[in-house]
Amino acid sequence: MTPPLAYTPFLEPIPIWSNAVWPWLLIPLAVAVSLVYKSIKCATMRQVPREAAGIAVWILLGMAAAAAALAALVHGLER
Amino acid sequence: MKTAEPATHPWKDDRIPEPLPPLPERLQYLALMSDAPSRTFPSALVALVAWLLPGGGYALLGQWARALTVGITIIVLFVAGLLIGGVRVIEVPGWGDHGQKLVVDAQGQVTEEHPGEEEDRPWVLTAAPLTEVRNKPWYIAQFLAGPINIAASAASIWASRDRPTGGAIAARSHARTNELGVLYTAVAGMLNLLAIIDSAHRAGPHAAECK
Repeated sequence: MTPPLAYTPFLEPIPIWSNAVWPWLLIPLAVAVSLVYKSIKCATMRQVPREAAGIAVWILLGMAAAAAALAALVHGLER
Repeated sequence: MKTAEPATHPWKDDRIPEPLPPLPERLQYLALMSDAPSRTFPSALVALVAWLLPGGGYALLGQWARALTVGITIIVLFVAGLLIGGVRVIEVPGWGDHGQKLVVDAQGQVTEEHPGEEEDRPWVLTAAPLTEVRNKPWYIAQFLAGPINIAASAASIWASRDRPTGGAIAARSHARTNELGVLYTAVAGMLNLLAIIDSAHRAGPHAAECK
């Protein structure tokens, strides 16, 4: 029996090779960008959680829309 | 015949101005929620502190909520990039794939220095710095994350070195994991650049215009 590949944090890449997994890593990235952007932009920090949540959703929707459009384009070109 | 006199209170004298009503008790806000700079510092100092510690520029201005939000987010994003792609997502200019200095040989070729070599060949970062940095452009963005990137660079050089038994201490990541690791660390640096510019601007004389 082959032992599973050990993951040593920082020395080896995280073992996520499946195409079904890695796109989910875009969510924390979008949230982080939204948080910092709105922390800079908003006049008071009270507004930040709500504003950042809103813009994070828009970023993710935009990326999903871009992915869908590109997928449709690729499928169209393949025919 | 009696004339109508204006109805006045017997104790009220119009010649004496009424005392102003007492001021309402002012609310005291904690500095944590303050948005206006409570201290003044030169913009250059604020920018330097913001690079040294992400969010530090806002902390210097007394804007603790903003400092903690920005600082923690940037550091977590950078560390997450290293966890996703491994420390070797930081490609340090001037050092090669085996953790040795890159030097320019007599033919003008860039090669990696071998340990124990005594031949005096110029280091690529002194001989052709722009070409070398252009070969590793993501490092510019990663560098903006501050000293955390310098520590990661040192770790990357160490992890690139060959073990006595053969092979590098840590392998370079490939494909999506490498791309995401580079993206996370570079975006952390770019977000810190935004924070550096914003905190320096808030420290400056035009701070009121950023509303």
